[in-house]
Amino acid sequence: MRNKTFTGAGSLSRSEAFRPQLTSLIDVMTILLVFLIKSFSAEGSLITVPRDIAPPVSVSSRAKPPHVIPTVSVSREHVLFNDSIVATVRDIDSKDSLSIEPLFERIRAMRGDGRAGEAILIQADRLLPFHTVKKVMYTCNKAGCRDFSFLVIHEG
Amino acid sequence: MKIHRYTRSSAPDALDGEMEIDVTPIMNMFVILIPFLVSMAVFTHLAIIRFSLPSNASAQLEDLSGKPTPKLTVVVSQKYLALTHGETLLDSLSVADGRFQEADFVKKLTSLRIGRGLGEEVIIASHDTVVFERVVAVMDYCSEAGFTKIGLSEGTVDPAKGI
Repeated sequence: MRNKTFTGAGSLSRSEAFRPQLTSLIDVMTILLVFLIKSFSAEGSLITVPRDIAPPVSVSSRAKPPHVIPTVSVSREHVLFNDSIVATVRDIDSKDSLSIEPLFERIRAMRGDGRAGEAILIQADRLLPFHTVKKVMYTCNKAGCRDFSFLVIHEG
Repeated sequence: MKIHRYTRSSAPDALDGEMEIDVTPIMNMFVILIPFLVSMAVFTHLAIIRFSLPSNASAQLEDLSGKPTPKLTVVVSQKYLALTHGETLLDSLSVADGRFQEADFVKKLTSLRIGRGLGEEVIIASHDTVVFERVVAVMDYCSEAGFTKIGLSEGTVDPAKGI
């Protein structure tokens, strides 16, 4: 015997529209919102790290926020000055000279124009051997830079 | 014929059923806020560490006639960390598989800085084959030990051979 449901005036109940449970979705959204508000930064990122550079990690409390100054980027393949390639790491490693001439010329030109002071920022991949970074520092110092900084990822 | 009239016997009681909240406005707000916050979020915090090169660093490598003033020097190599002052070896720490006792190292640095009155300047002299990440880590430990001025220099593998 077929069962029938009688409601109201006795007609069969109409199937109601599907209503998704939004409570759990609201929970997820609230947690996401709280996390994103915590990560919110009005300043944004003043320094762009090239994709092929993984800076080393630093937990020092004396690490300061980065500011915009001439930047030498050293990945495992290339040496860049203000985002333009000046040399390859293979070339500079193959030479005994401590000075990287193309980099030296670029820094000197920029300092000569008055577009740069004595400050220089070096962002190097964490796995680079020290002798590559040493050559970059030597070249910058030779070009007149005295105020050096390393870009790091700050933790803690 | 009996006519049945169906009427509500009493006013609906709020406690009988669940109260439904209209979440549509809240969802509207989330849909606008969350993409905006995702675009502004900073997940990687960048910072800078300042350091100096020894005075006349470029000249020093070309002309060795001038002798620098001795400062506390941390020699970083693949197998050890050595704390020297001038030509005196003060202490050392072994490095195994790239790892060493960080807490001991910081403690030794702090005791040397305070005990010997070596000031706030330290030179980190790294061998060429040491990875850059280790050099930065040693800079951090020196900073943690209270040294405010950190210099970087080259460490000679064979001191007797010279530079």
